[in-house]
Amino acid sequence: MLESPSSGSAQGSFDVHKLECGRLFDEVPCYISIQDRSFQVLQANRKMIDEFGDPISQFCYAAYKGRRERCPECPVARTFDDGKDHSSQEKIFDRHRLPHDVIVNTRPLHNQAGEIIAVMELFTDITVQKELENRLQDSLMRYHDLFDLVPCYISVQDRDFRILEANRYFRESFGGRPGVHCYEIYKKRADRCPRCPLAETFQDGRTHESEEVLIDDMGKKVCVVVHTAPIRDLQGNITSVLEVSDDISEIRALQDKLALLGRLVGTIAHSIKNVLEGLRGGVYIVNLGFRDNNQADIRTGWEMVERNVGRISNMIMDMLYCTKERSPRRLPVSLAKVAREIVDLLSPRAHDLGVQLESEFSDNVGVILGEPKDIRALISNLVGNAIDACLSDQNEQKSHRVITRLFRESGQVAIEVEDNGTGMDEEAQSKLFTMFFSTKGTFGTGLGLLISQKVATEHGGTISVRSVLGEGSTFTVRLPLEAKS
Amino acid sequence: MTGNLHRGKKILVVDDEKDVLLYLAKLFEDNGYGVVCASGGNDALESVERERPDLITLDLSMPDKSGARFYREIKAKPELSHIPVVFVTGVTGFGGSSDDTERFYSNRRQVPPPDGFVAKPIDPDEMLSLVDRLI
Repeated sequence: MLESPSSGSAQGSFDVHKLECGRLFDEVPCYISIQDRSFQVLQANRKMIDEFGDPISQFCYAAYKGRRERCPECPVARTFDDGKDHSSQEKIFDRHRLPHDVIVNTRPLHNQAGEIIAVMELFTDITVQKELENRLQDSLMRYHDLFDLVPCYISVQDRDFRILEANRYFRESFGGRPGVHCYEIYKKRADRCPRCPLAETFQDGRTHESEEVLIDDMGKKVCVVVHTAPIRDLQGNITSVLEVSDDISEIRALQDKLALLGRLVGTIAHSIKNVLEGLRGGVYIVNLGFRDNNQADIRTGWEMVERNVGRISNMIMDMLYCTKERSPRRLPVSLAKVAREIVDLLSPRAHDLGVQLESEFSDNVGVILGEPKDIRALISNLVGNAIDACLSDQNEQKSHRVITRLFRESGQVAIEVEDNGTGMDEEAQSKLFTMFFSTKGTFGTGLGLLISQKVATEHGGTISVRSVLGEGSTFTVRLPLEAKS
Repeated sequence: MTGNLHRGKKILVVDDEKDVLLYLAKLFEDNGYGVVCASGGNDALESVERERPDLITLDLSMPDKSGARFYREIKAKPELSHIPVVFVTGVTGFGGSSDDTERFYSNRRQVPPPDGFVAKPIDPDEMLSLVDRLI
């Protein structure tokens, strides 16, 4: 329905009845309002009047926006100025003072002389879309906050193991520039890892879990539990995989301490049993000596008692070493110098027992930062063990030797002690670092290797072994070269 | 001294622990047995061929497994298989070496069981009465 405006300068020349689309004017699913140069509303369609009350003869800024004066940015004014169509986004208020987001399009209306006599405004209500847009924006922000603020490593990788996205926690620890392979970033590897939960998720679309050791930008090891989950497109194809990793380094350190304690208890029980056997035997023989007044028996028995008292005392020292909480000092230690001293010290005795000690290293192989006493104990443990392995070898054909090597290997320095003694089967090797273990009968407390392992770990290094039963063993300790504190 | 009772009877003691060898040797000698010692399975095989002992005490938990091999070999030889063998085993409960004997059996059912067991730490009376009964 169109009515003539009751007032307005354009009234005479503007005749809405001439509009052929009169019916359309009322029925289009948008608000239409027509204003003159003074922003007075000349006409409004039915939809507009129903929602916003009758605006006719009011100023548009008062009717739609509740303002006392015209809006600073006004598309109607611009259309009056340049005769062109304009559009803008506005917020207007309905008769219940509820806001509506609208897109306004303005269009000039001319008289027969071609003069602009009014401007038509078409309002498209986008309140619902705007609301959805806001909600989307909101959830995107929330998602990003979550992504960035949760205290675990989150990344998204593609099929080529390239990082597409990484959260702040991840970026702070690993850098994580998009496009770089995940294995380069947090494993410092050149190739993909042999077993990869990410690849498994790409393959079967399920979540997978694994425990991994990552290396952060500072070279520090981080133990994590990784969970992967597929990310699918609308067709259900897996486009990428989400990886969420929890840092369990502290839990792991605690577990290690508990495991060490467990091993200590086992070791102590075993060692005490052996010492007890020796003491018992010694006392028995001493008693025989007293009974028979046999000086030789008394001496033999007493030596056994002394030897086993010595073993208890060594055991206690080792135990104290193992359980003591401390961090090693970080003094410069020349590995070559220490190794040379130990080899020189043990060489004569070993030679007498038929074992040759050989050294294969140069004096400038490197300096590490650490506790000199610990490093000395570590190397002398390894060399001592190697000599013992040769001595317990019953193979008379072999000429026994122990080779101590020092060499550099990708930012680390390796201490390698190789013997051609008894060697160990796989079972013995697997027990080596996991529980008390001594292959040396009476003379081993089973703590020597635990101590070596402890020293290596405390200095940021590792210890490993290769061995073939009957052929010999090689122990390798790798320590960071001049590690920064 | 009860030495005369066992005159001429010879015991082979096999153990890699020097103190155990000394202890058992003294114990048996003091009770009138002749004693031969071996510190590993290879030594023991030579000794048993040479000395033909009347009884063997054997530590099964020697590191090179030569104890078990030694036992199998003598049980496989008709001229040696009759010699009674006493296993000297670790204490049950701690450490792990205790179940050496058990494992030895579960792996080799075709091998006859030993004639006796003595657990470490060795009780001299228990050892003597067992040996006495077996010889």
